[in-house]
Amino acid sequence: MPGSLDIERLYDEHAQPLYAFLLNFTRDEADTRDLLQEIFIKLARKPKLLDDIREERAFLIRLAHNAAIDLMRRRGTRDKTKENFAAEKLSPFAPTNDPDEKVFRAELANALGELPEEQRSVVHLKLWEGLTFEEIAAALDVPPNTAASRYRYGLDKLRERLRPLYEEMKKAE
Amino acid sequence: MNDETEQFESRLSRQPLRQIPREWRGEILGAANSPARRSEVMPASFFSVLNSQLSALFWPHPKAWAGLAAVWVFIFAVNFSMRDRTPMIAEKISPPSPEMIVELKKQQRMFAELVGSYETQDADQRKIFSPKPRSERVEILMT
Repeated sequence: MPGSLDIERLYDEHAQPLYAFLLNFTRDEADTRDLLQEIFIKLARKPKLLDDIREERAFLIRLAHNAAIDLMRRRGTRDKTKENFAAEKLSPFAPTNDPDEKVFRAELANALGELPEEQRSVVHLKLWEGLTFEEIAAALDVPPNTAASRYRYGLDKLRERLRPLYEEMKKAE
Repeated sequence: MNDETEQFESRLSRQPLRQIPREWRGEILGAANSPARRSEVMPASFFSVLNSQLSALFWPHPKAWAGLAAVWVFIFAVNFSMRDRTPMIAEKISPPSPEMIVELKKQQRMFAELVGSYETQDADQRKIFSPKPRSERVEILMT
């Protein structure tokens, strides 16, 4: 069993990316907190989970992904659609005072929220965690080709959705 | 991958993500290290496991499953409403009265007379065979 120091180390190294991943998934701070806590309680209770794991980050992302999927399933019975579940809530991006950036981040958050969950997860892990498709595939338990195609589909949708704003901002720069 | 795509990806990846609230660290680690909270994630009961398994099964297409269930209910309802409520024909027939039996026999006799094969002996009457003791059979032979 890992001591409290191990749990603390895990938290310090992985809590921020897990938080961002879960927030992008749930768009709800309270849900994100519950899921994050659930993951760390599980790790504390079952320390052997990490015994044979080489890529801690990928493993923890998988735990987070599964926990978020479970939550969505539970919520799915109450919410009309899973898209609505993530469409109108908290942005996963940091607040900013720059008005252009503010608009762009808001639009990007909305566009991400409109992506299907499987594309959103891959896009998040590729763009903001910098994982390779092999690492994403390992984390989400899908083949690397599937991860790559989901990324391309997701990115195409984002580009299509953000094109007018993006072009405008490019001209301004 | 072309330059435009790379620029777009770069633009997106530069957007900073929201930071995790600092106060969560103490709360989450406190909960994780608390024996009481650990027990909250102890093995789930049979019903919660069943519930999660069923929700995992039905979640992908709940409307399709609901539609299928509705079709079954409809089929049962139609089947139930179309069931024949009249009693069986056999149940309606009461045993024939003695007068009717006599009448039927009379008709049978008349019919036999017309056909010419009427036997006076009642066809229905069974021939009773009563075996006699061997000693009596010997007497019969002697005489």
